Amino acid sequence: MNSDLVIKDLRVSIEDKEILKGVNLTVRAGSIHAIMGPNGSGKSTLAYTLMGHPGYTVTGGEAWYQGQNILELEPDERSKLGLFLAFQYPVAIPGVTVANFLRAAINAHRAEEGKDPKETAIPMAQFRKQIREQMAALSIDEGFARRYLNEGFSGGEKKRVEILQMAMLQPGMAIMDETDSGLDIDALKIVSQGVNTLYEQHPDMGVLVITHYQRLLNYIKPHYVSVLMDGRIVREGGPELALELEEKGYDFIREEVASS
Amino acid sequence: MKTFPTLAELSDTTILDVSQAAGEPAWLAEQRMAAWRFFAAAEPPFWRRTDLSKFKAEQIAAAIGASATILVWERDPAGQGVVFAPLLQALHTHEAVIRQHLGTAIDSQRHKFVALNAALWQDGVFLYVPQNTAVELPLTAAFTMPAPGDAIVARNLIILDHGASVTFVEEYRSDAGAGQAFAAPITEMFLGNDATLRFVTVQTWGEDVYHIGAQKARVGRGATIEWSAVNLGARVQHVEAETALEGDGSRVEWVAATFGGGHQNLLTAPWLRHIGAKTEAHMDFKTVVKDQSYTTFDGMIKIEHQSRATVSRLEEHALHLTPKARSDSIPGLMIDTNDVARAGHASTSGEVDEEQLFYMRSRGIPRDDAIHLIVMGFFEPVLDRIPTEALRQRIAEMIEAKI
Ligand SMILES: Nc1ncnc2c1ncn2[C@@H]1O[C@H](COP(=O)(O)OP(=O)(O)OP(=O)(O)O)[C@@H](O)[C@H]1O
Ligand SMILES: [Mg+2]
Repeated sequence: MNSDLVIKDLRVSIEDKEILKGVNLTVRAGSIHAIMGPNGSGKSTLAYTLMGHPGYTVTGGEAWYQGQNILELEPDERSKLGLFLAFQYPVAIPGVTVANFLRAAINAHRAEEGKDPKETAIPMAQFRKQIREQMAALSIDEGFARRYLNEGFSGGEKKRVEILQMAMLQPGMAIMDETDSGLDIDALKIVSQGVNTLYEQHPDMGVLVITHYQRLLNYIKPHYVSVLMDGRIVREGGPELALELEEKGYDFIREEVASS
Repeated sequence: MKTFPTLAELSDTTILDVSQAAGEPAWLAEQRMAAWRFFAAAEPPFWRRTDLSKFKAEQIAAAIGASATILVWERDPAGQGVVFAPLLQALHTHEAVIRQHLGTAIDSQRHKFVALNAALWQDGVFLYVPQNTAVELPLTAAFTMPAPGDAIVARNLIILDHGASVTFVEEYRSDAGAGQAFAAPITEMFLGNDATLRFVTVQTWGEDVYHIGAQKARVGRGATIEWSAVNLGARVQHVEAETALEGDGSRVEWVAATFGGGHQNLLTAPWLRHIGAKTEAHMDFKTVVKDQSYTTFDGMIKIEHQSRATVSRLEEHALHLTPKARSDSIPGLMIDTNDVARAGHASTSGEVDEEQLFYMRSRGIPRDDAIHLIVMGFFEPVLDRIPTEALRQRIAEMIEAKI
């Protein structure tokens, strides 16, 4: 089975407006792959579509992962297959604590067809130990476990809790949509550290990092950088491409695209 | 098994006979007969949102002389002087205080079914907590339906003296039995100055029960009532509830969870009256509906002329799990003064949020499980206030089963 994420000619519309106009992109297992691009170019659309958000209509193309075209799967099936999305704007779930939510998610991953969920559920002690360790690693106060998920969390707290969820679920392919936005410099280091640790522990993991800033890529070092512009991948390169963008902005690519 | 006369077979003389045979004081027999005469003469109330068209009141048997009240009470060493007993029994020991309070919060002629209760009540408890006495362990009165075709007419009288503090739980429960049954409970609560009452009222009747109840709390100076209502059962529920913040600085924290399914018709009419100065109220009413059920929140907040610097906040939210279910919200606000510190109202009604669902599903949680979590989370502010783990568990399981 192939643990690369292979996106072929992906076309996506929102309310009849085409946003992704044929995206071709491969995120290799074991690689860190950055996507950069101006506001509105379709980065979040790509991330949401890969995770299966019902508001985005796929009008063409495929996305293969673990031997399946994931575009045909439900969002929860994609998650169980190993896909994870750290949201640009995490959603609040009133009345559901971080701990209960995570336990439900982990148990959903452990569930097996034809088996009593009680049998496959994570033992409470093991869960407590795991969440405590991961929260400590991400410098999240222990009290957060009992708080309602994302309710009244600051922007930075939400992003940390996204990474906490990622660390607990240990995905094979993680998409991070602007996880760096809203983070102060200390939090940025902690979060990057968390991602790097996870990556070191699971060297087969693929990571798709969506960001506007080189700042994050100083900490989470990409092997590949792709540029998304107006719904298409217009440039691919190594880490030097991100530096070039930082220096020159997007205009030089725009000119190249226009003249080609 | 004893069979009871139906409402059609009763008369004020039978009521007098039963009262006298039970050795009840003359004033109570008088009250009962006056209430019966009102009941017999009064037209059924016209309630637009409570469907009584299939209710056969005259065929209902009133469980006269029976008692289906179960008191659950672990004696708390702190509770010196606390009285918790069936109301009928307490008449022998606390007649004066009962007479002074009974029927003074809720007018026996408020409507036909309140009068019915005043005439026929047998079940119910008397709870008295003396001055500055704090009872830690919750006291529970559980009511079960004797049999299909019966009525349970419970009367609860709760009196907290100055500075007293207690948790009182009333549970209306029955194992599912076929055939119409009727519950007409009344709970009157009196909070002395600086008293604290945690009042938990849980309605989980079986599916053929008509539940028509009234509840009222009169709250004294500096006193607080935390009122938590859970409405899950019954075929039809019509509960008129009132908190009167009479004393200066009195407060209410009022939360409710209603879940309608099948063909249930569940109405709650909370009235809140701000009367004293600097009274404060927070209401948070949550409703979930599915199938063909119909629920109503018919609320009224009245800020009276003599009140000052009132703080009042009402939240009511409804979640629709299926398209045919209906929930009506009729919040009213009457302000009879210029001196209000803050009065706010927030209301939402809609289906389960797609963004929440997607977020949860992106973590591997299947759609149905995600809806379960969202509904449980929606009711969490109420569940959180259920004082015993066993009851919380039972309610949570009932909600889970209904989703
Ligand atoms: N729900 C929606 N309804 C209508 N248009 C939408 C919706 N979501 C996104 N769009 C549009 O799709 C385009 C791509 O949006 P997307 O969020 O994917 O951009 P992005 O690259 O992530 O931008 P940013 O860098 O600002 O996060 C934009 O023009 C946006 O306005
Ligand atoms: Mg975006």
